[in-house]
Amino acid sequence: MIRRTIPPWLFWLLAIGGVAVLLGSYEMVSARQTRINPLQSTIPSFEKLGEGLKQIFRPQGLPENPKPPMFWVDMRATLWRLFMGMGFGVAASIVVGVLMGAYRWIEAPLGPVVMFLSKVPPTAMMPIYFALVGTDQKMFTSMVALGIFFSMTQSIYQAVRQDVSDEAINKAYTLGASEFEIIYEVIWKQILPKIIDGVRLQIGPAMVFLLAAEMVVGNAGLGYQIRMQSRILNMSIVYVYLAILAFVGLIAEWGLATMRKKLCPWYVD
Amino acid sequence: MSEFALEIKALSHVFGSYRVLDNINLQVLPGQIVAVVGPSGCGKSTLLKAILGTDPPTHGDILTDGMPVRGPTRNVGIVYQNYALYDFMSAERNVGFGLKMDETTMWMRFLQPRKYLAKRRGHIQKSLEFLRVVGLADACGKYPREMSGGMRQRVAVAQAFIMRPKIVLLDEPFGALDEAMREDLQIMLLRFYQENLIAKKEGRRPQYTILMVTHELNEAIYVADRVIGLSRFHTDGDQGAAIVYDRPCPVFHPDDPRDFSKFVEQREELRKAVFDENFIKDRNKYVTFWKDLGALANSVAGL
Repeated sequence: MIRRTIPPWLFWLLAIGGVAVLLGSYEMVSARQTRINPLQSTIPSFEKLGEGLKQIFRPQGLPENPKPPMFWVDMRATLWRLFMGMGFGVAASIVVGVLMGAYRWIEAPLGPVVMFLSKVPPTAMMPIYFALVGTDQKMFTSMVALGIFFSMTQSIYQAVRQDVSDEAINKAYTLGASEFEIIYEVIWKQILPKIIDGVRLQIGPAMVFLLAAEMVVGNAGLGYQIRMQSRILNMSIVYVYLAILAFVGLIAEWGLATMRKKLCPWYVD
Repeated sequence: MSEFALEIKALSHVFGSYRVLDNINLQVLPGQIVAVVGPSGCGKSTLLKAILGTDPPTHGDILTDGMPVRGPTRNVGIVYQNYALYDFMSAERNVGFGLKMDETTMWMRFLQPRKYLAKRRGHIQKSLEFLRVVGLADACGKYPREMSGGMRQRVAVAQAFIMRPKIVLLDEPFGALDEAMREDLQIMLLRFYQENLIAKKEGRRPQYTILMVTHELNEAIYVADRVIGLSRFHTDGDQGAAIVYDRPCPVFHPDDPRDFSKFVEQREELRKAVFDENFIKDRNKYVTFWKDLGALANSVAGL
């Protein structure tokens, strides 16, 4: 029967079983591949993956002049680009989205433009960014920012239109609120959980744009390193990096969900 | 201070070539509870929006306490059928929201926290008082989604009255509630009316002046002390809806039994005058409120 509940022990057993099957079959395929070619590195064993994990945390360069481990360099580069890009993108889309939802004369000229540009895949726009802003930090920031700006603006604008009723706004006027107070005290507070959810949903696409750009023009960063290591078939590092990306995604997701619960205890989805 | 809480002078409203309201004149005294009834589409909402100030009429003037309405302000309170509470505020904050807007500024809220918090304590105190008035003393910390429809509507009523507006508009306020809730809230309005009477006796200006749109004739006569009917069924009805009925009606004491048989006659009269499309009459035939009031005053004086 659809949606019939199952006992918790069975649920957890199946959940653990799923992970075990994934890991087990990976190990089997890896062992088989190693039998065919003992030097293979495309499907490294867990032991090799462990070595990869150690390697990325090992200081680089000569012992007398050590450089920071590969992981820190890449992680710092990627997270900083992601943070800057999302910061600018989210801030701009909040301003524009809220104003579009609040004022018809802002909505009218911007609505169609935002709608159109949100449909252009940001990765396809990469050559334009290279040409216009070069290939440095500015380029990554503007690419992530603009990549999420249009769809985020769209969703904030829609949240304002749907979640804040005309009645709520008219009533705020009768309670003595000014226009600015209505925007901050009524509209902003009402859509805050939607904004946090929007940020959460945009982390995925932002990562896609960023990693794609890093693979093409980066000199550091998770995307850059994944591409470099895969070229020399150093898959033990590539897989570890992919797992790290998954953890970054999980942590960001959890952090934003916790933040929403803390800031908006009234909200249930 | 004007004699009237609300005064509407020669108000007409036209949508394109369609005339919705024609020459509406109305004066409401402080402390009155006025019910507005009429067939659907007769322009009740248009009239309400005009008084609220969100959709100004195409002709005529609206004054609240002698001052012209130029947009929604704190002179006119509003209670909507869908409550329109702020989801992100607890009941006490919803009720105190108007005080916060009125007595503090953005500047103070962000940059003078000590001054602001002192004010805030006063506001919460006062909103707790109002929550007690509407019978919700225990629900102060609850969010709207945690409350029933009836509780939410009580919060909305407190939210409007805490501002002491010149008049509060109730737009089908109890339409979404079940029977028992509706009765409770009607009785709450009757209690407000009793307080108005006490205020008048003590020479104070009554603080609960209400204009209530409803589609329930029983509710209109039971709660209000004056019923107004808005309708196109009069001799020049193609000119738009007009006030075709305006009469006082019996005032119940909140502890009286809900005996609707007392006003069966008036209910029938109202139904015929406002809702019967075959009964075309001069628009002023049943508009006798001020005359009736005068007669009443004379009879009291004559006693």
